[in-house]
Amino acid sequence: MAREVFALLYNDKKDAPPLFPTDSGQGYKSNKAKLGMKSVRPWKWMPFTNPARKDSAVFHHWRRVCDDGKEYPFAKFNKQVQIPTYSDAEYQAQLVAEGWTKAETDHLFELCRRFDLRFGVIRDRWDSAQFKKRSVEDLKERYYGVVTSLAKVKTGPGLPPEAKTYHFDAEHERKRKEQLLRLYTRTNEQLEEEQMLQNELRKIEARKKERDKKTQDLQKLITAADHQNEPRKVDKKFPRKKFTATTARPRIDNLSGELSSIKFPDMKGSGVTVRSQRMKLPANIGQKKMKAIEQLLQELGIEANPMPTEEMCTHFNELRSDLLLLYELKAAMTNCEFELQAMRHQYEASNPGKTLQIPKILLPDPPEGATSEEANATIKTEIIDVVGSPSHSTA
Amino acid sequence: MMNPTPADFGPESSGRMKGVTVVKPIVYGNVARYFGEKREEDGHTHQWTVYIKPYANEDMSAYVKKVHFKLHESYANQNRVCLKPPYEITETGWGEFEIVIKIYFHDTNERPVTLYHELKLFQSGPVAQLGKTLLVTEWYEEIVFQDPTAFMHHLLTNTHPISTTPWVHETDFEEKKKKSLEGIMKGKANIRDKINELKEN
Repeated sequence: MAREVFALLYNDKKDAPPLFPTDSGQGYKSNKAKLGMKSVRPWKWMPFTNPARKDSAVFHHWRRVCDDGKEYPFAKFNKQVQIPTYSDAEYQAQLVAEGWTKAETDHLFELCRRFDLRFGVIRDRWDSAQFKKRSVEDLKERYYGVVTSLAKVKTGPGLPPEAKTYHFDAEHERKRKEQLLRLYTRTNEQLEEEQMLQNELRKIEARKKERDKKTQDLQKLITAADHQNEPRKVDKKFPRKKFTATTARPRIDNLSGELSSIKFPDMKGSGVTVRSQRMKLPANIGQKKMKAIEQLLQELGIEANPMPTEEMCTHFNELRSDLLLLYELKAAMTNCEFELQAMRHQYEASNPGKTLQIPKILLPDPPEGATSEEANATIKTEIIDVVGSPSHSTA
Repeated sequence: MMNPTPADFGPESSGRMKGVTVVKPIVYGNVARYFGEKREEDGHTHQWTVYIKPYANEDMSAYVKKVHFKLHESYANQNRVCLKPPYEITETGWGEFEIVIKIYFHDTNERPVTLYHELKLFQSGPVAQLGKTLLVTEWYEEIVFQDPTAFMHHLLTNTHPISTTPWVHETDFEEKKKKSLEGIMKGKANIRDKINELKEN
């Protein structure tokens, strides 16, 4: 047995078991239930009448003597629905409706009174030999129509106070029932199809979200790059968006992108500090990026700890901010290229025999041999071309 | 000494002078000399001196109360204190380690600052241990007094030259500064270009 489990068998104090019995209770004698000491109220077998009954039949039941002579307590639950009545004149004046005769209306109200507006029962007991068959909705429509019309012209017993405003929407009710019926009679195949479609939809939405997030990150990066230098390329960035994402996304200039600049300690508080503290890389940029900055500095032949004069600090910090930005831009670029290639493969796999023409400006490097000046020029014309006809990008 | 006592400034002496910044450049580091052989008694190979001194020719004791040097724990009483210039500790040893240098100021309202110096005994490179040459490893640093107290400000601005001869350092910091600043500016331009290039691609 594990030591911990074994320890559970005993209490923490490691007391020895008691030598003397310490039972201070009553021994084996169990306590009696303590009941009230009042005298028992007497019960009596007696007759009663139920005021809810009209035949005044007499039954017997057990009852407390003190309750003798009181009204039967359950009589109050016999609720009666008030059904309005109408005279012949009223019917002729107000209640004539197409498709309903007075005899049929009378029959309906008679059944309503008999079955307390239980329309399901009313429809079942409908005198279909004398009148034509009607649905529950038809019956309800007629009944509430009559009640509403009556409420307009008179007040009195049998007219519920809400009758004036109540409107029974038979059409809606019919549609609702039809809908339920259809839902109920779906086949298994239909159910499966629906399930499948829902899953697909969920997948598509997830993918879309992911894509949006990616493009937003990219946007931030681009904006950060634009912020850092003079903003002369901003307007050229807009057409490029069409390539990288097909979904709508926020405009560049709305994003406040300071994503890839390093927040160096500013040392503004009073007191004594050592200047080199200002050049300390904050810990939150992470090992990977620190390493990258270190390596880039080495490639540039710049020492990792220059003399910490004020000027030097400023420039050195700016340099490292730029290095980080460059590093992130490069990473984003590689990522995009990779995705582009992956898309192309996907496209070619799903459309055998076709090749996806990737516009030149999206290819990683300008053609060899061209001077950078020329390369820039070709790129610019390409971009302008794209502005004119964005549709060719989907070729 | 012309240093006034804190009493001269009364209860206001801890009030800070907002917006005032005083910068005191300093140099810290160590020199090391190889014995040429391993000493028999204790195996030590080098004599070294760790120091901190002003970059300009001035008497730091005007504002520095004391300097603590914390040596490796294998040294007998590893915490050494210098109350007046020169702020330096000379020792012998066989290994390199980090020395913690803590500078205390006369005004106790100003917290002490701490520097970390990697003691250097061995030249990195092929010229290592050529005879008894002196190996100098020193760093430039600036102590920044942001909003100093009135008392501290007085001490900082009333210093006197520490020596009558020209004050020189083993390392030509002016030259070094110029060179690294140039390097950084060049690197910066270089990187900006690359960023621009990448954006256009």
